[in-house]
Amino acid sequence: MISNNKFFIENPYGRWVRDNLFSSSSSAFLTFFAGFMVIYSYRGIVGFILNPERMWTSVTYNMKLYMILAYPDEAMIRVWLSVGLALILGGLSIGFYNSGKSISLGGIFQKLFTISAVIALLIALAPTNTNVIQNDGSIEAVEIIPQDVRMLILGPSLVLTLAFFFLRNIKIKNLFNTAKVNLTYFGLIIGSLYFIKIPTISLDSSGERIIPDPFLPIASTTYIPWTILYVGMLLFFFIGSLLKNKDVKIMSRLIPIAWFLCPLFIFSWIFKKPLVELNTVFSADIPSILVFGIIGFLIIRFSDNESIGVYRTPINIGFFILSVVVFLLPLVFIFKATMVLLLLLLVVSPAIATTKEGKRQLFIVWVVSLFVLTFLIRGASSDTMLVTPTGSIFGGFSLTWLLAIFGTYASFPLGLALALGRTSTLPVIRIICTGIIEIVRSVPYITWLFFASVMLTVFLPAGVEFNLIIRVLILTAFFSGAYFAEYIRGGLQSIPKGQYEAANAIGMNPFQRIFLVIVPQALRTIIPTLVGSVITSFKDSSLVAIIGLFDILRIGTSVIPAQSQPVVFIGRNLEQLVFLSFFFWVFTFVFSRRSMKFEKRLGLGER
Amino acid sequence: MSIIKTVDVKKWFGDFQALKGISMEVAEGEVLVICGPSGSGKSTFIRCINRLEQHQEGEIVVDGIELTNDLKNIEAIRSEVGMVFQSFNLFPHLTVMQNITLAPIWVRKKSRSESEEKAMELLERVGIPEQAQKFPGQLSGGQQQRVAIARALAMEPKIMLFDEPTSALDPEMIKEVLDAMKELAESGMTMIVVTHEMGFAKEVADRVMLFDEGLMVEENTPNEFFDNPKNDRTKLFLSQIL
Repeated sequence: MISNNKFFIENPYGRWVRDNLFSSSSSAFLTFFAGFMVIYSYRGIVGFILNPERMWTSVTYNMKLYMILAYPDEAMIRVWLSVGLALILGGLSIGFYNSGKSISLGGIFQKLFTISAVIALLIALAPTNTNVIQNDGSIEAVEIIPQDVRMLILGPSLVLTLAFFFLRNIKIKNLFNTAKVNLTYFGLIIGSLYFIKIPTISLDSSGERIIPDPFLPIASTTYIPWTILYVGMLLFFFIGSLLKNKDVKIMSRLIPIAWFLCPLFIFSWIFKKPLVELNTVFSADIPSILVFGIIGFLIIRFSDNESIGVYRTPINIGFFILSVVVFLLPLVFIFKATMVLLLLLLVVSPAIATTKEGKRQLFIVWVVSLFVLTFLIRGASSDTMLVTPTGSIFGGFSLTWLLAIFGTYASFPLGLALALGRTSTLPVIRIICTGIIEIVRSVPYITWLFFASVMLTVFLPAGVEFNLIIRVLILTAFFSGAYFAEYIRGGLQSIPKGQYEAANAIGMNPFQRIFLVIVPQALRTIIPTLVGSVITSFKDSSLVAIIGLFDILRIGTSVIPAQSQPVVFIGRNLEQLVFLSFFFWVFTFVFSRRSMKFEKRLGLGER
Repeated sequence: MSIIKTVDVKKWFGDFQALKGISMEVAEGEVLVICGPSGSGKSTFIRCINRLEQHQEGEIVVDGIELTNDLKNIEAIRSEVGMVFQSFNLFPHLTVMQNITLAPIWVRKKSRSESEEKAMELLERVGIPEQAQKFPGQLSGGQQQRVAIARALAMEPKIMLFDEPTSALDPEMIKEVLDAMKELAESGMTMIVVTHEMGFAKEVADRVMLFDEGLMVEENTPNEFFDNPKNDRTKLFLSQIL
């Protein structure tokens, strides 16, 4: 079968085709078979989507419902703030990480060649007709892509393909900044929100539906926020590249931390009613941070002073009594909590703050923890939006996302703790951790969900009640935590004994040994598994539909197909399912690609 | 003044007795080479000195501290005793620089800048300052072993233990590691070296010991050890490896 024809030897494409697709009779057969299958299913899918029976307006009209269910309109600003935070961070990261790298014009043409070739191929292979079932049960072929439309797309894309094919080999010295190219791609994506028009259901001023459905841009109702967000993103892109050019090293640490914290901020924005009353901030929060900051500074500054060192024990005891007294007095909670922290600082600072740098670092940690504590306590004491008088208003993608992200965030430390506990040498801890892991893993997730929704209230003392979403969150954390624990244990076991010995030999204590040497290596080896399990928990979050929560899947399969106002969408299941599978695919695909890059970067030091 | 003193140290692995009563002393600044056939207990013995293995009977005193189960004592000893392993055991997820500064920063609580300065000094001393930002996986075996020596030295130990430091290396890399060790010995470090490199023993050691089946069968000056051994077992051992 292998041909020695001149075309196959000299042309790189020809050689690739010969070596990879037609290297033997059986591989040639497989190539033809697979090619036929791919084309057949592609034509089927296109025929399904463009079938006039489909009512895609049922998806576009309900987009807001899909994303945030019944989130109150007056609080929408928080949703936009959250999206904005992610976009701004994205702009900053693109600016910071991609500046300085460049891509040649040929490389850009290569990409454009691929894109236009794919478009040409897709439109050429698309079916002309599709079958529609008539009222009397007969099947009739209906034209879905008129010949002139096909030619209108095929012609230009073929011309472009040919042009880029020759252009991609030209040697032009011009190099383009990768960052700017990426930003342009992103701009095109955002721009498509303005220019790509889709059929939407519109109501005129009297509430009557406009027929036929007008074609409006995707972002027709959300022009203003998207524009502001894109401008913000651009701004932060330039800030990012500026910081890169100025070589601000600390950014390479701050950006990952910011990405890590970003979901937490979004939680508190979307799910809490933040109490940003300037009155409280100025009269209570800032003075308390200032006062405790100064006290902390004094403690750190003079803690290793020798003349004070003599009285250390009486000072510690006195302060202990003082903080107990403060705790019993009817004061604001934040004051009590900070007093306890101050006691801790007093005890540890002589041991930690021995050098000038140590003191400086401890002081920074102290001030940052004061801010975080204030933020957390204010957040915890504010009203939640999870519960409203009419029940929960949460649902849609925001709920799916909450379950997935929170599940990961909470279950990871839990899983790490369980894994370390299971490998511990202390029998009590080991037995407890093993017990938790085995019990949680041996029962299906759905059973646990029913447990959370129905049985948990029976076990809790009378009067104590959690919101269903919170119960599910706690349960999810335990469930994925148990799985994480087993993955992490596998990683821990893959670390050679020599690493423990080396850590011991340089005098590390068990705590340092675990967290500086063993755990970082163990986590590195199990990143692919962890990514897989995060994706699983993202998809599994749809299961909450069966205990009565309105996640994105339930909205698609039971809410929208029952709508009759303002338009009848009854029975429109298929469109929703296609849309949802595409939606989930995009998210998991992007996530797994990102994590592959992350893996490569972390794998730098691997043998 | 002896910095290490062991009295009748015995150690069992299950039913197998690896050490059958070792008593010895090492003076400050002394270089002691231990050799012997495999399975003779020589590695087990030096691993007992910083308690990577626990001895069951007898007594080991290092720098005036007796080794017991008290965790504080063990950590104190380990930060005074540096160890270099046969398989290097560098931390693969950290750069050479981070490998060396990890212990000074976290165990000795030194500042980062001070530790890095010290680490650069040590890397220059073992001859590979240009590799500081690389990962261990990118270095040759000889370079990795020299990093391991620098890592142990970064804790400013009083004693260095070498557990067959050249056994896992290609022949042409052995010399660079031995040179680093020689330089260390000349600077007055107390060293216990388990090795099969008889050339090194002859040239550098103050004393040579032969272990066999968990017992110390010969203890001698290098000249006497090689030219005029007291024990028949030593003669047999030397005739097999020289």
